[in-house]
Amino acid sequence: MNIRHIAKEAGVSVATVSRVLNHPESVAPATREKIERIMAETEYIPNWFARGLNFNKTATIGLVIPHILNSENMEIVKGAEDVAHQKDYTSLLCNVENDVAKEKKYIDNLIKRRVDGILLISSLLSEKDVLNIMDQNIPVVHIGEVTWENRLPVVSIDSKEGAYKATRHLLECEKKKIGVLYGTTPAVENSRKVKGYEKALKEAKIPVKDEYKIQVDDNIEGGYLGARKFLDMSEPPDAIFATSDLIAFGVMDAMKDNRISVPEQISVIGFGNIRMSNLVEPKLTTIEKPLHKMGVVGARLLFDLIEGKEDDGSGMKNIQLQSKLKIRKSCGHKERIGEMF
Amino acid sequence: MNTTFVGLKLKTPIILSAGPWSRDGLSIKRALEAGAGAVITESIVSDAIIDVRPRIAYNGSGAQNIRLYSDIQIEGWEREMEIAKSAGGIVIASISGHTPSELAYLASKMEHFGADAIEVSVSNPMGESLEILASDADQMYLIIKEVVEHVDIPVIVKLSQTATNIAKVAKAAKKAGAAGVSAINSIRCILGVDIETGEPMLPTYGGYSGAPIRPLGLAAVATVSQTVNIPICGIGGIENYKNALEYMMLGASAVQVGTAVMINGFEKIREIVEDLDRWADSKGIKSVAEIRGKALTHLKSFDEMKVEPVISHSNHEPCLEDCKACVKGCIYGAITRLESDVEIDKNRCTGCGVCIFVCPEKKLSLRW
Repeated sequence: MNIRHIAKEAGVSVATVSRVLNHPESVAPATREKIERIMAETEYIPNWFARGLNFNKTATIGLVIPHILNSENMEIVKGAEDVAHQKDYTSLLCNVENDVAKEKKYIDNLIKRRVDGILLISSLLSEKDVLNIMDQNIPVVHIGEVTWENRLPVVSIDSKEGAYKATRHLLECEKKKIGVLYGTTPAVENSRKVKGYEKALKEAKIPVKDEYKIQVDDNIEGGYLGARKFLDMSEPPDAIFATSDLIAFGVMDAMKDNRISVPEQISVIGFGNIRMSNLVEPKLTTIEKPLHKMGVVGARLLFDLIEGKEDDGSGMKNIQLQSKLKIRKSCGHKERIGEMF
Repeated sequence: MNTTFVGLKLKTPIILSAGPWSRDGLSIKRALEAGAGAVITESIVSDAIIDVRPRIAYNGSGAQNIRLYSDIQIEGWEREMEIAKSAGGIVIASISGHTPSELAYLASKMEHFGADAIEVSVSNPMGESLEILASDADQMYLIIKEVVEHVDIPVIVKLSQTATNIAKVAKAAKKAGAAGVSAINSIRCILGVDIETGEPMLPTYGGYSGAPIRPLGLAAVATVSQTVNIPICGIGGIENYKNALEYMMLGASAVQVGTAVMINGFEKIREIVEDLDRWADSKGIKSVAEIRGKALTHLKSFDEMKVEPVISHSNHEPCLEDCKACVKGCIYGAITRLESDVEIDKNRCTGCGVCIFVCPEKKLSLRW
């Protein structure tokens, strides 16, 4: 069933049916009702792609994520999709797998498919690449910290501040030998997290030791291998700050294999507060990143641009959300929950 | 009795506070129809979540509320505001969040959806850590400044009793450009514990509201009133027009009711508004401005107080049979029960005043 069939059935022109779909107020009520009835009876579904050609809208947005197996991304995507769904938009999910060439290819494809906007999550693209998309009049919003200041709207948290809070907590648990396992991507956030860690140590007048800073892959294996490296040292750390929950899970796994108990012998703190962090044993103390909210707010900024509502008095371009220390059981307070809620 | 609060002309100073009772457009419309001078929406957040059940406990005087925030996303409030304002009336949007940009975004959206003012709630005791934003004057300044810069409508800051120095926070709010403050938000609480099962009445900390917090609200309003030149909306345990007047006499330009409406329904608004109007008419008072702050002149610091050598006196009306309330209540041992009266030892009585309040017949008074 297509628009021509509907027109024939109703005895009107294709243009009239089109007007019912796009400008119903311009069609006489009797004609409009008749056409709408036939569309309902025949279960006619408008061709949205063709609609996009006419209106320059396809009611789709692209969500470009670094890695689908990292559940941080999935929680952000869930938030964005919740908003898109409410707007009756379809989301195209592009899994970049930390490969900039793949990301560029996906972006090209999204543009060819005439998506109405693109939500980039911890993008690997350069500033020039991003500006290039924006210059094609495609709304773009970025979730995650960036180094450059430009027209690109950004939703983020302060990773340095979050890492500082994590390290402060380990210091408050009376740990003096604190190591950090930091991931490779996203590069900006990881380097800021290391800075936050260093800031807390310096404030506590504890020297920052280079051997206590190990870069690993941002996944469970990376955490496992990094932890083993720490354990092989002549003076291993008594606390580990992992820059993501996945790395922290790997650390806890390595400790289990080496019969080292968390938190009695070593403290572990993560970053992200993905759902699993509340299920591992002991439950992981971590820095809560408002992942779902970041997705929601990012999508909101994107739709403000798509709908031309970015100047609804707000003029808000960048939104920074708050991270929060979530004290559970992996750092020392075995009985006390501390300042949890 | 009319009033002006943050530039809004209200036909009555009685405002419905932010809470589950103002959860959507229809509830707000009903409250306006019941006569409220303005209605404040339930607190709107960036990422609404589904509510817990149960979420409210009540012990006959005070309520514990663990309901978090509005479960309607900001997009949905466009329609709710349309419904809320469909019959006219003033609607103030309550927003809640943690960072300046987050709150500024919500504020500008709600302004666009037709809110007449913004109330920034950064002191909710539900689901927050102990360190609420409202206890940090510097952080408060940054937040309010950003919100004020992004909207053209007045911004009201909801203050919390849980601040070391509420006046300091109110000053920061004013400096940041707030048009007014409201005080106080509900207070972190646990309503009680079932000693048979060991279970608290609700499974997490909540906000305490209702009559028991009124004295705290009154003190907060008086404190802000005496220290900062900023319009104040009084909140906390208002159950009738007299309570509303107490707040106004301590400096409030308007007041908010919440828990009393939750327990008694929207008709409670009409009752308070009408009683207040009757009282004002009987005194020939037209506007809150005529009585606002009237009690403040009687509120002195310790060193300013003139101490009169008063002691307790009986009016010699017969006592209730077997009543010894004043005898028990006199820690100075100055009162002796007689056949049908009491005898007060002039040398022992120190004029503390307890007996005045414990006598069920109200037959004692302080004089000299």
